[in-house]
Amino acid sequence: MEKVKSLIKIKPKKYKDGEVVKVSFMVMHPMETGMRKDKKTGKIVPAEYINSVKFDYNGQVITTMNVWESLSANPVFTIYMKINGAGKLTVSFTDNTGAVNETSTKIKPKG
Amino acid sequence: MQRRDFFKKLGTVVAVSAVAPMMSFAADEKKPKGPNEFSYEKAVEAITDGKGAKTSSKITLKVPEIAENGAVVPVSVTVDSPMSESDYVKAIHIFATKNNNSRCLAVHLTPANGKAMIATRVKLGGTQEVAALVEMSDGTFLTASQSVKVTIGGCG
Repeated sequence: MEKVKSLIKIKPKKYKDGEVVKVSFMVMHPMETGMRKDKKTGKIVPAEYINSVKFDYNGQVITTMNVWESLSANPVFTIYMKINGAGKLTVSFTDNTGAVNETSTKIKPKG
Repeated sequence: MQRRDFFKKLGTVVAVSAVAPMMSFAADEKKPKGPNEFSYEKAVEAITDGKGAKTSSKITLKVPEIAENGAVVPVSVTVDSPMSESDYVKAIHIFATKNNNSRCLAVHLTPANGKAMIATRVKLGGTQEVAALVEMSDGTFLTASQSVKVTIGGCG
């Protein structure tokens, strides 16, 4: 499997300690349901979808998600998060084929 | 429908509803059709443990009323909650009620989130209702739903 593109976006870009910010996690993933047929070959495209997503902030798991195939292709997961000191936000996901991917970003509150 | 057919069907419905709570969540996941078929009623029953959920105005479910393309429908759920240690939203589930597998997303939140709001994008197979089921920290379940008109289906 080729490398999966994923991205973490935090809004607003400049934030202070204790502020609640919006965190969006975007993944480039086909999210095949396993029910769609390839129009050229007539064969069923095997299922490939994200199973679970985990948000980890400085070693503390803040949010976990169970995901099923009814999410759109290239899904976006948006949550809110309270900034609690500088550190690292790691978002990892697994899919039903067993692929595991991890993305992380630095958290640097100002002021 | 004939009267006798009706009674036959009623009998099977009663039998299924009596057996269903005994089956575990894992047993429910064995489906004959499709890779992961799971109806909305079954999912709600499994999550709430048969208690059911109350419709509440605390939940704001934002879905477009008319979705031109069913493959990408933005959904956002906001719950009015202080998100403190004693009173917070434990989980938010999103369902597409008539999809083959109605479950879309289950988000397990913690007080560290600070705000009970999630957003994502779902696929809808046709015109149907999108529902949100919210589990509060005190064990109660709240629900809200909104119908979406889909002009082009997104599944298949």
